[in-house]
Amino acid sequence: MWTRDEARKLADTILSFSKLPECSVVLAASEQANVRFANNGVTTSGVVLERSVTVTSTRDGRSGTAETTEVDPASLEAVVRRSEELAALAPQNPEHMPPLGPQEYPETSDYDEATARARTAEMIPHVAAAIAAAKKNHLVAAGFFLRSASVRAVANKNKLFGYDRSADARLTVTVRTPDGSSSGWAGRPSLRIAEIRGEEIAARAVEKCLRWRKPERLEPGAYTVVLEATAVGDLIGRMGFALDARAAEEGRSFLSKKGGGTRLGEKLFPEFISLRSDPFDPRLPATPWTSEWLPARRIAWVEKGVIRNLVYTRYWGAKTGNPPTGFPGSLVMDGGQESLDELIRHTERGLLVTRFWYIRVVNPQTLQLTGLTRDGLFLIENGKISRPVMNLRFNESPVRLLENAQRAGRPERVQGAEGGSVVVPPLVSGNFQFTSVSDAV
Amino acid sequence: MMSRRVFLGSSALAAADLFGAAEGSQRPSSELEKLAQVALRQAQRLKASYCDIRINRYRDQTIFLRLSPERGTGRTLEVPNVTDRESFGFGVRVIARGVWGFAASPVVSEEEIARVTREAVAVAEANARIQARPVVLAPTPAYRDRWNSPCERNPFDIPVAEKIELLRAAAAEVKKEKRVFASTAMLMFHSEDKYFASSEGSSIQQLVIHTIANLAATAVDLARGISRTRNYTPPPLEAGWEYVARMNFLEHAPRIREEVLEHLAAPPVEPGKKDLVLMPSNLFLTIHESIGHSTELDRALGYEANFAGTSFLTPEKMGKERIGSEIVTIYGDRTYERGLATVAYDDDGVKTTRFPIVEKGIFKHFQTIREQAHLIGEKESRGCCYADSWASVPFQRMPNVWLAPGPANVTLEDLIAGVDDGILIEGRGSYSIDQQRYNFQFGGDAFWEIKGGKKRGMISRVAYQSRTPDFWQACDGIAGPSYWEQYGSPNDGKGEPMQTNSVSHGCSPARFRQITVIRTD
Repeated sequence: MWTRDEARKLADTILSFSKLPECSVVLAASEQANVRFANNGVTTSGVVLERSVTVTSTRDGRSGTAETTEVDPASLEAVVRRSEELAALAPQNPEHMPPLGPQEYPETSDYDEATARARTAEMIPHVAAAIAAAKKNHLVAAGFFLRSASVRAVANKNKLFGYDRSADARLTVTVRTPDGSSSGWAGRPSLRIAEIRGEEIAARAVEKCLRWRKPERLEPGAYTVVLEATAVGDLIGRMGFALDARAAEEGRSFLSKKGGGTRLGEKLFPEFISLRSDPFDPRLPATPWTSEWLPARRIAWVEKGVIRNLVYTRYWGAKTGNPPTGFPGSLVMDGGQESLDELIRHTERGLLVTRFWYIRVVNPQTLQLTGLTRDGLFLIENGKISRPVMNLRFNESPVRLLENAQRAGRPERVQGAEGGSVVVPPLVSGNFQFTSVSDAV
Repeated sequence: MMSRRVFLGSSALAAADLFGAAEGSQRPSSELEKLAQVALRQAQRLKASYCDIRINRYRDQTIFLRLSPERGTGRTLEVPNVTDRESFGFGVRVIARGVWGFAASPVVSEEEIARVTREAVAVAEANARIQARPVVLAPTPAYRDRWNSPCERNPFDIPVAEKIELLRAAAAEVKKEKRVFASTAMLMFHSEDKYFASSEGSSIQQLVIHTIANLAATAVDLARGISRTRNYTPPPLEAGWEYVARMNFLEHAPRIREEVLEHLAAPPVEPGKKDLVLMPSNLFLTIHESIGHSTELDRALGYEANFAGTSFLTPEKMGKERIGSEIVTIYGDRTYERGLATVAYDDDGVKTTRFPIVEKGIFKHFQTIREQAHLIGEKESRGCCYADSWASVPFQRMPNVWLAPGPANVTLEDLIAGVDDGILIEGRGSYSIDQQRYNFQFGGDAFWEIKGGKKRGMISRVAYQSRTPDFWQACDGIAGPSYWEQYGSPNDGKGEPMQTNSVSHGCSPARFRQITVIRTD
């Protein structure tokens, strides 16, 4: 992987081939080590190096982008030429913004040497511990352990240069009964691989699996839900792109006001709901720049229930007189001090959800999503888990989830199966719409 | 760790030189064969019992145009996006001490191939400590061959200006009507130059080219606070530029322009049990999710338990379980012409096949790869192995899965005529299915009410929910072969790290009785 100096030298070489007034370069390289296991044994695993060079050339608002994985001088010159040929043929983009000059990018603290260096041999003991925990309980484990180290650099002809390296890891474990009648899941993402312990994660998955045996059928309908943090992350992670100012102004978003305008400044959610982007949160991976290469910064989207900011691109910001924000990364939702158990204790009747699966947008305007519960769904009665219940399909929007929120617990970093990493609390919310029962285990 | 000199690219070989030579030849490129030998010899020296190497180059070109009003003036702006991506590298897979090991690199040189092969063996040896059972590969003959997907004009050779002109004309035609808020038009071309060699003597070079397109309209009603879309999505196929002319964008543009406005004004559905007539552009994805994924053997055996899930179909149900009505016959097929998953050889080096998955409603066969066949007592793989990149490990992926057409005399009109209260659904909408492929919910791109055997006006806010075996047993009519169309999905996800797969699903319009329909937001 490239050091800062190597990345700068490479970027300079690429830019030296440029013949058009504007040229920008993205360098990306990564090294991944992963172990996949199932049926109490390892299945596939590997060590993978990847890299890419992406060049965008522009003249008079006409842009072309070309990418290659080859970095010899001839290939680099060729990729610049290819981007220039595309630019020559592309129509003028009326929304093109002039290139940025040099930027001061903040330092983000998401690189851990031990994570970046770990090899298969160091990951295997955790996988072995997960398998041993399952076997001890006559159960079957499957899972995935991944660690990655990445380098990303950006540069343009206006002397802009940024360099970032990061590392991340996660282990997820699913434990099932041999007859497939019950399933439990647990996972842990962390920037520091030392914080990931197979034994601890497997113990949670085993407990879920043992507890969820013989789930009963419950009629679909509206329920109070206690969502574990992973389940909250599965839904809240979808809100980032829905905060787009342009879609709101153009009448295509839940933040559009009927008849025109946006709901910026309106209090949509209870007082305890606050959601922000925080590239400096020590738990989350982050890039020091936004998607448009402006320095990343903390920004509140929802503050004490009020929509505080919308997402502005450079173009839309210039059109409307607002500073550009970039699209939300590193999402952090505030919570309280209560543990999940305490949230359960305060719930008279509701459903405890471990996580969601196969979440898809049904209506982009209201952000209505559909999906299913998975790997542990329980009925709560009088502040206690009373019995396991069969999985349910929901049709619900994270917007309504937050509108109906009643209590939030202690936030933690989570990563669902289908989305990115976020920091969110477990949440109690009312009137959550389940529409059908699933036989799936 | 790899040497810094290698990563900085001083000794890598260029993709264009390796794949470009000897077009039209029936033999793989000798340069590729020479490189592969480095891995195969290295693996043999390290006592790996099996080794394969894939040296692949991918190209992806996307041309996109959006026509939307400028803020303040309302003037229509034309916003383009043109990208052209290439990815080139190799992956080495070995079996050592009975366990898989895999490593990959973008630096295609003899030195790096040797290093990565050593890395793959090291991974396998580290894994050996927790192997459940040794990997056993079903036998396959060795092949030395070269194959290209059907393509008359390579789309990457066509000037971008020509592509943009075509999109511009189509998007402008859609946007002609002021009440259409925005239109988008997109062309995507994907190619895979694939080379595979194994320690069992195979050497196979293949070239696959996909052509994908979409035209879309968006309409907004600010007063009511709603927006709707309507798409024209020609089936994505293994084809070249010649296919683009047959897409007839300009013929479909006025239709979607009118239909998006009709969709915006359409009344919401009355929820309840209804008969559905599903057009191929909608039914393909239902086939994919409910039958395609439930009949993957790796899912059934628990290999995907932590991610994509398992399956309601298990090996003991093969040949016995009824999951559809008598008229439902479904094939797995990587040989069907122009299917997105069609190749001559899979990523195990196995010659691809066609096989019944469901025959007259009975579940017959799983999709398999070499390491799985013996687990269900079969002698050979059905050729369903695929990796989405040189950097990805090959595993079991879906072949094209298609529904056999009904009798020649059954027409779409017959299907509609037999419905008293139902909905005709076209196009792809929201789709979601549980981790064992039982409970699903599908939307669509456009919905028409059927009343008293007649197709009426458009309705909105429709989704249908069912349970896979109930749904397919409710199928009581399939239109004839002349209605059969091969739609497809170019981005199916599975595996960890997740990989995407392109796959086609042919079918004729079909009717399903008394399916639960809900009203969405």
